[in-house]
Amino acid sequence: MLLQFPGPNPNEVDLKPIYDAVVVGSGAAGGMAAYVLTSHGFKVLLLEAGKYQDTSKILHSMEWPYDHPRRGNKPPDYHALTVNEYNIRQQVAAEKSPYPNVQSYVQGWSGTDYSKTLVVDEKQNPYTGTRYAWVRSRAVGGKTNIWGRLALRLSDYDFKAKDRDGYGENWPISYSDIEPYYDKVDLYLGISGHPEGLPYLPDSKFQRPNKLTYSEVHLRETLQGMGRVLTPYRAGVTTEGLKHNKYRSRCYGRGACNRHVGGCDIHAAFDSPTGLIRPAWDTGNLTMRTNATVYEVTVDKDSGKATGVSFLDSETKQSYQVKAKTVILAASTLESARLLLLSKSSLYPNGVGNSSGHVGHNFCEHMMGPSVSGFMKDLVGKPRTNDDGKPGGFYIPRFRNLEGQKKSDFLRGYGYEGSSGTTMLPSSVSTPGFGEEYKKRVRDYAGATIEIGAFGEVLPRYENAVDIDPEVKDAWGIPVLKFSYQFGENERKMATDMAASGREMFEAAKFEVLSNSDEMLPEGWSIHELGTARMGSDPKTSVVNQFQQCHDVKNLLVVDGSTHVNASCQNPTWTIMALCWRSCDHLADQLRKGEV
Amino acid sequence: MSATLDRRDLLKLFTASAFAGPLLLTAADKDKPLFFSKDEFELLDVLSDHIIPTDGHSPGAHDAGVAAYIDRTVAEAFLPDDKEVWKTGLAEINRLSVEEHKRPYLKIGKEKQLALLTTLAKAEQDPKTAGEKFFVNLKESTAYAYYTSDIGIHQDIEYKGNVIQMEFAGYDAV
Repeated sequence: MLLQFPGPNPNEVDLKPIYDAVVVGSGAAGGMAAYVLTSHGFKVLLLEAGKYQDTSKILHSMEWPYDHPRRGNKPPDYHALTVNEYNIRQQVAAEKSPYPNVQSYVQGWSGTDYSKTLVVDEKQNPYTGTRYAWVRSRAVGGKTNIWGRLALRLSDYDFKAKDRDGYGENWPISYSDIEPYYDKVDLYLGISGHPEGLPYLPDSKFQRPNKLTYSEVHLRETLQGMGRVLTPYRAGVTTEGLKHNKYRSRCYGRGACNRHVGGCDIHAAFDSPTGLIRPAWDTGNLTMRTNATVYEVTVDKDSGKATGVSFLDSETKQSYQVKAKTVILAASTLESARLLLLSKSSLYPNGVGNSSGHVGHNFCEHMMGPSVSGFMKDLVGKPRTNDDGKPGGFYIPRFRNLEGQKKSDFLRGYGYEGSSGTTMLPSSVSTPGFGEEYKKRVRDYAGATIEIGAFGEVLPRYENAVDIDPEVKDAWGIPVLKFSYQFGENERKMATDMAASGREMFEAAKFEVLSNSDEMLPEGWSIHELGTARMGSDPKTSVVNQFQQCHDVKNLLVVDGSTHVNASCQNPTWTIMALCWRSCDHLADQLRKGEV
Repeated sequence: MSATLDRRDLLKLFTASAFAGPLLLTAADKDKPLFFSKDEFELLDVLSDHIIPTDGHSPGAHDAGVAAYIDRTVAEAFLPDDKEVWKTGLAEINRLSVEEHKRPYLKIGKEKQLALLTTLAKAEQDPKTAGEKFFVNLKESTAYAYYTSDIGIHQDIEYKGNVIQMEFAGYDAV
């Protein structure tokens, strides 16, 4: 009989067997690795530094703010870092903060009571170097418990970007290699969207799409005349249900999804625990060990192969070793790089898998900040509609540096995410003034507001990197990351263009512009960090091959965003899972043939 | 993990203010505030109702219990400064009132009260004096407390979401 999920107490988990694979991290990548390998019949040990928290029980999606004693906000001894604190110096701000609990900026407006146990404590988990808004989740499911749900494909504009503009490296794969795996992810996890037939943003196997508000339909029509596209939010949400997964419900359009940062208590939105880990568990091939903070990949001195990992119990700090035929890192882009760099030995003096010297380098992500907000005059004072009953707003795919277009003064592109209409706490509350006039304006403009914010590709640069800090250690005594990472000239030029093109679209739609910013938010803000162990065919300039196996150590895989060669401007979660599925299918084949 | 607009924009609005969130305390009533003195509470209640008054459409901040929510929030604020700023801010309102009209705020009549707030509100985008800064805090706190209240969400904004729907509301992309 199957053990009941999530299994025994962490310190009773059986670590004696040699597992087929040990997977480090349980987010989108780790969950996928566990699901694919256990489905192939392999015995997998999944290690997660945090605890299991049942979001079905802790999220309370439909609770009204006034039914919560703090209107959904965090307890008073918790502090979320502000933009200013990141700008001044996050490290000092966190360390010197008088609050006992300091967390990253990720909040939502009344969801902190939910996210407070999902994101890490910044005092326990310090880092050094240049400013960086590093959002980390240590909990079963990781950041999939709070993700924004925008699920996009990359295209050959991304995989073969060097062919177009000469910058950086191409990926060792083409869209045709990954397309079947995007399809698998779509069908297995569910995705909502409307097909547009765009070569630079391929369509998925969509379920029922989100709908648009009146102002969004108007903007969509306006943009059609400009050769641009506004499409309903492509949400990693099952809108029609999944017959093969009993842990997930279809979406019931309850909305206000952003109020709690993210997360879905009926699991219509994908999260790793219900979408991947529980199905893996039901194969009978999965063992999960929570509270396991991995600090080293162990290697065999003679064969050079990975033998397993060492970890500390997150609470007792007792050290454990576990052995496996393959080691799969899925700890997030920066944590996986940290683990590779921490695993130094006489055989691998620069860290395991790092003979190229590229681990921690080519670090890239999405730049955020430039935005436009405004309102549609026709909607001011109109009767209220439900604009919020859906898992997302809209997306405007990239429209710069495409085939046949004049080249911009920056490389690559950016997309815009947007939303409009009445939300539970309307953005019109920021209207100046007070009294009857203020109150009427908040009400009249609540349904008329529309806002867009850009996400742009940050170019991968060798010099943008993380390394191990020689002195500072975290609360577990593990050396921390030191950042040497900054936006450059390309990002600044792109930010200027983002703000201008955003205003241009609003003006074309005859929306009144209330604010228009070209200011970049601090590095890290998008929570899309990528590229620190990039894939490639040349072991001298890349860390892993196209199947995410380290060139130096074939039974060591890195299956998270660290292997992405560039950031594209499309959100990475769906690509992380498609690549991981492909790599784990390949690994399963090799394991069967005894080739690893 | 896409960071949403809501997250960013509302963060700007609300993390700057003095919110720390209240303890799991029972609702305060106006005769027995948790943090403020009885006089301070009365002043806060009137001020909040001047920020968001009852109109022909819906009840205002007084009926929505805004002062009680702020009282609870300030009572459990973690930093002493976040408590102090309210005591000194309310005192500053009375000081300004006495300076100009020789009487505290509650005694100068509605016309002069609103005129005093109007003066402070002029500097809302770039507050400099103690009074101007307190006005911004008072206004943001009142707005948050009001628009997250039962009255604010349902009677004033008439929010239609947070319901179960078989079909999404809105229009198809065509």
